[in-house]
Amino acid sequence: MKTTFDVLRDIMVRDYELAPERLQPETPLADIDVDSLAVMELVFSLEDEFNVTAGDTDSAFETLGDVAMYIDRLIAERDAGLDGDSPAATGAAARE
Amino acid sequence: MNRVAITGLGIVAPGGNDPSEFFDNLVAGRSAIRLLSVDSTRLKTRIAAAASFDPRAHFSAPRLRMLDRVSQLALIAAAQAVESAAFNFSDDERRTTGVFFGTGMGGAKTTDEGYKTFYGEDSDRIKPYTVLMAMNNAAAGWIGIEHRLTGPNLTFSVACSSSAVAIGEAWLRIRSGTAPLMLAGGAEAPLTPGTLKAWEALKTLASEDPIDPSASCKPFSRDRSGLVLGEGAAVVMLEEWEHAARRDAFVYGELVGYGLSTDSAHITRPTVEGQARAMRLALDSAAAAPETIGYINAHGTGTQANDAVETAAIRQVFGACAEGIPVSSSKSMHGHLLGAAGAVELIATILAVRTGTIPPTMHLQVPDPECDLDYVPNAARTWQDIELAMTNSFAFGGTNAVLVCRRV
Repeated sequence: MKTTFDVLRDIMVRDYELAPERLQPETPLADIDVDSLAVMELVFSLEDEFNVTAGDTDSAFETLGDVAMYIDRLIAERDAGLDGDSPAATGAAARE
Repeated sequence: MNRVAITGLGIVAPGGNDPSEFFDNLVAGRSAIRLLSVDSTRLKTRIAAAASFDPRAHFSAPRLRMLDRVSQLALIAAAQAVESAAFNFSDDERRTTGVFFGTGMGGAKTTDEGYKTFYGEDSDRIKPYTVLMAMNNAAAGWIGIEHRLTGPNLTFSVACSSSAVAIGEAWLRIRSGTAPLMLAGGAEAPLTPGTLKAWEALKTLASEDPIDPSASCKPFSRDRSGLVLGEGAAVVMLEEWEHAARRDAFVYGELVGYGLSTDSAHITRPTVEGQARAMRLALDSAAAAPETIGYINAHGTGTQANDAVETAAIRQVFGACAEGIPVSSSKSMHGHLLGAAGAVELIATILAVRTGTIPPTMHLQVPDPECDLDYVPNAARTWQDIELAMTNSFAFGGTNAVLVCRRV
C-alpha cells in the first residue's frame, strides 16, 4: 500500500514535473521551489486524495516529510472522529 | 532633449513568435484569426486570434503554476527584446533601467478561474497564487525580477491604449534624461470564456464570416461588424541615442514622437477631436509636418464607430495630404490585442519603415463612403520612401495615444 509520502510524491511528479529521485522526505521545500503558497495548493490536492480537511495551514513546513506528516495527522484525526479544523490540532501538526 | 533609439524588439503574437515571422505574415496577408476551441457552449463567439507558443518550452512546471498566461507572454517578449538588443546591463544600468508596461485586463484567466471555483463550483479552494497572478502589474513585476531591473516599474492600464502609453511614457523618461534605458511594451491574454462572454455582451465583437472565419475582421470595409479579440505581447528596448551609439548598438528605428489626449466625452464612443488632437501632439513632439508622414498604422479595430471616426480624424489632421498617405490596419490579421495592441503595432510600424513595405488592410472588399482613405487594401505595398510613420491607439475611457517613429 502506498504511504502518504508516496502519494505526495506522485502529485509532485504530476504537477511539478520533478524527477521522483529528487523527492525524498528530507528534501527541503525551498530546494524544489515550493513556497508557502505552493504548499497550500499541494494540501488542496492531498485533501482530495485522503478525504481529509486541512485547517488554515501555517507555513512552518520545511521538508516534504513535514507535509506528509501533517497529512498523516489529519488522517489520524479523521479516523478518531476529531475535527481537523481545530486550531490546536492544525497548529501542532504543522510545527512538528 | 535626448534622442531615443529603439535597440531591441520582442513579440509573441498571433501570426508570429518573433518580429520577423510576425511581420512576414502581415506582409503576406495571412490572418491568424481562427475558430477558437474554448470549453464553453454558452459562447456565441467562436473566433479569436490566439498566440501560438509552447509555455513549457519557456518555463518549468513549478514556474508555470505561478504565471498567468499574460505574464508568460510578457516574459517571452521581454527576453527577446533584451536579447535582440545584445546588451549586458551593468549594475548601475540595472538600477536606472525601468520597466513600463501596459495591460488592460491583467491576469484575466486567473481571475476567470477564481470566479469559476468560488461561484461556479461553490468551492473555497481558491488557488493561493490568485492575487499574485491576476494583479495587473504581475507581468511588469516578473520582467523586472527576471532581468534584475530595479528602476521604476510601472503598469499603465488604459484599455486599448495601455502599451502605447507605456512606451510613450518611457520615451519621455529617456528624452528628458531621467533614464538611459527602458524596457517598454504590453501584454494581454483575454481569451478565456468569462472574458470573451463579457466582450460579447458589449456587442463590439465581429460576427463570424460565414465563408472564411479568418476574414471576420474587416477594418474600413462597409461590411465590418466589429473587432476580433487577440492575445499576445510585445516589448521594445528604448535607449538614449548616445548610449546606443557608444556601444555601437544596432538601431531598428528612432522613436521621435508621442501624443496623448483624452476625449472625456463618452466611455466608449470616440471623438474626432480627441483622436485628432493626439495625432497633432505626436507630430508636434516629433517636430514633423503632416506631409512628412509616410505611413499610418491605424487603430482600425473594425467597429463601425472607430473606423469612421479615425478616418475623419486623419482627414482633419492631414488635410489635403491625407489621401496620399497609406493607412492600414494590421488588426485585420492579428486581431485586437487590447492593452498589447499599441506595442504590437509599433513593431509592425517600425518594420514597415525599415523594410519600406506596408502591411495591408485585409478583407476590405466593400468601400464605405465614410472610410475614404488609401487603406492599402488586401495586398502589401512596397513604398521605399517612408521616413516617418505613425501608429494610433485609442481606448475605451477616451485615452488616445499616438507614437511616431523614424527610419534610421
